[in-house]
Amino acid sequence: MSVPLGYYLVLGAVLFAIGLCGALTRRNAIAVLMSIEIMFNAAVLNFVVFWYYLHNGALTGQVFALFAIAVAAAESAVGLALVIAVYRHYKRVDVDEMRSLKG
Amino acid sequence: MNAIFLTLSAVTVLGAVLAVSLRNLVHCLLALVLFFLGIAGHFFLMRADFLGAVQILIYIGAVAVLILFAIMLTRNIAGTEGARRALGGAWWLGVGVSAALAGLMIAMTRRSELASKMPYGATEEGVVKDIGKLLVTDWVVPLEIMAVLLTAALIGAVVVALEETKKR
Amino acid sequence: MPDGVALTLSVLLPIGIVLGVFLTIFALLTWAERKALGRIQNRLGPNRVGPFGLFQPIADALKLLTKEDIVPQAADKVVHFLAPVVTVAPAFLILAVVPVAKGFVPVDLNIGVLFALAVSTASVLALFMAGWASHNKFSLLGAMRAVAQVVSYEVPMVLAAVVVLMAAGTLSSVGIVEAQRGFGGWFICKPWGLVGFVIFQLCAMAEVARTPFDLPEAESEIVAGYHTEYSGFKFALFQMGEYVAALTMGGITVTMFLGGYLGPGSDLPKIGWLVSACWFFAKLGIIIIINIWARGTWPRVRVDQLLGFAWKMLLPLSLVNIVAMALWHFAPNKIAGWLVSAALLVAAIFGLVKINAGKAFEKRSYRFIS
Repeated sequence: MSVPLGYYLVLGAVLFAIGLCGALTRRNAIAVLMSIEIMFNAAVLNFVVFWYYLHNGALTGQVFALFAIAVAAAESAVGLALVIAVYRHYKRVDVDEMRSLKG
Repeated sequence: MNAIFLTLSAVTVLGAVLAVSLRNLVHCLLALVLFFLGIAGHFFLMRADFLGAVQILIYIGAVAVLILFAIMLTRNIAGTEGARRALGGAWWLGVGVSAALAGLMIAMTRRSELASKMPYGATEEGVVKDIGKLLVTDWVVPLEIMAVLLTAALIGAVVVALEETKKR
Repeated sequence: MPDGVALTLSVLLPIGIVLGVFLTIFALLTWAERKALGRIQNRLGPNRVGPFGLFQPIADALKLLTKEDIVPQAADKVVHFLAPVVTVAPAFLILAVVPVAKGFVPVDLNIGVLFALAVSTASVLALFMAGWASHNKFSLLGAMRAVAQVVSYEVPMVLAAVVVLMAAGTLSSVGIVEAQRGFGGWFICKPWGLVGFVIFQLCAMAEVARTPFDLPEAESEIVAGYHTEYSGFKFALFQMGEYVAALTMGGITVTMFLGGYLGPGSDLPKIGWLVSACWFFAKLGIIIIINIWARGTWPRVRVDQLLGFAWKMLLPLSLVNIVAMALWHFAPNKIAGWLVSAALLVAAIFGLVKINAGKAFEKRSYRFIS
């Protein structure tokens, strides 16, 4: 009825790789941030999978996943604020063109 | 369960693939929302009800709206995005690296003996009361640190994105 | 009957009943609202299409169904099509956890109220999709204001719900109703419950963008806001989404503050379910009357007044409400608990109104009138 653990691990790996592909190839900074969110979610899925299959008695796995989600939300907020600040300076959000540290 | 798992996984992977490959950013965002829904579905399937609801609440209710506002505020002034290429210079390198990583991880999971474990028979649902109790007894220090982190992120995001008023 | 058929039927039957009942109530609600608004505004309301205008919803539905479906040429076709769907879906999804009668809730989730709140926050995306896809500056402006409004009013709404969860000790909606048993057991009869009810009702009205908070779709201000470019059946779906969301949030309010389906006679052996359903719909009717009354009486608030009300008034008040509930719960005897929490809440309301009140108007002086 349920699926073996390996299926979920493969799913997590595939999702993480898709997120990584997006983060490495896209030009728009916001698209890169969206791919980073995909990677985060794949990792949290892995946490919950290991909680469900191996340590189901203790709820520590869920608490950890909760903290991970909160940290991801905070990180995306700050990242997007940075993108907006960069846009105001460069007038575009192309990661290929932001090469210099000096403004 | 198998059919539900396959359907949910197909929806999730479809959402992720569309989110990294579509050209129009708003369409990418909608595919990302589909991905979040798929992940929430997987959480519900694994009887982590509270986490599934939190996933919907935070990711679709807040993070997706945040990304939407960022897309709105950083639109290209001179015309639409269509003329530019969506992918960077050496995009095939990125695809190759991620495919290699996926292959490596899948090979490692196949090899391990954990891969064939099935979940316990009668699994207890994650009762919210127990999670709450854990949060304020065992994990109260991480909870407080998380509160400080979220406050710092909130203030930091507002300060970073604020318009600088030119003072004479 | 075979097992699979019985399982399918047991899933589909409650869904069908709930959908049918609430869609009928939605149709009657549009008629009742127009009649009631008409009476408040000293006119008759629809009275042509049937006895007392009762067939008006049918006439409206037929008109909207037969209209031409216009999509702007520069609009984003996919998003333009999906926006009404994403508006309607959360409104109906929350109905799955509202207990309509004793022992009759479509899905008794362990996290019922959290699920309802999460799905109602997911409806923000639909507003933005509608405004963005229309490729129209007015629509986009309406959509941005709508998103700011909905996101601002989510926070006091969740905090007002937290008070109820503290008292009931469970997130399940059936559990919350069962925790309000006994005479005077409804949460609205307690001081923190009364304040929580007012906060939750105001936030629910703002979430579904009803007057006085209907700036996103204000007809006299920004044409029709985010659904300017929609015609025909898609517009009907937007209206349906808004009204059913108002009904659903009313159902959640009744469950959390007014005791759900409880009332004298709801525990009778044979007909208990019928009596409890009547109680639930009577209480839902009271909430609807309050909504319509507010719509007819109060003027629309400006957008800065709107956001200021949420962040500067409702949010601190809901935080003080949580403290007042904790004091009430842990007080040594009942009278002290009531007095202390009521005093704290009254003081908080006075203080907040004082802080937020603008300057009083000074007496005007006219130049040519002595």
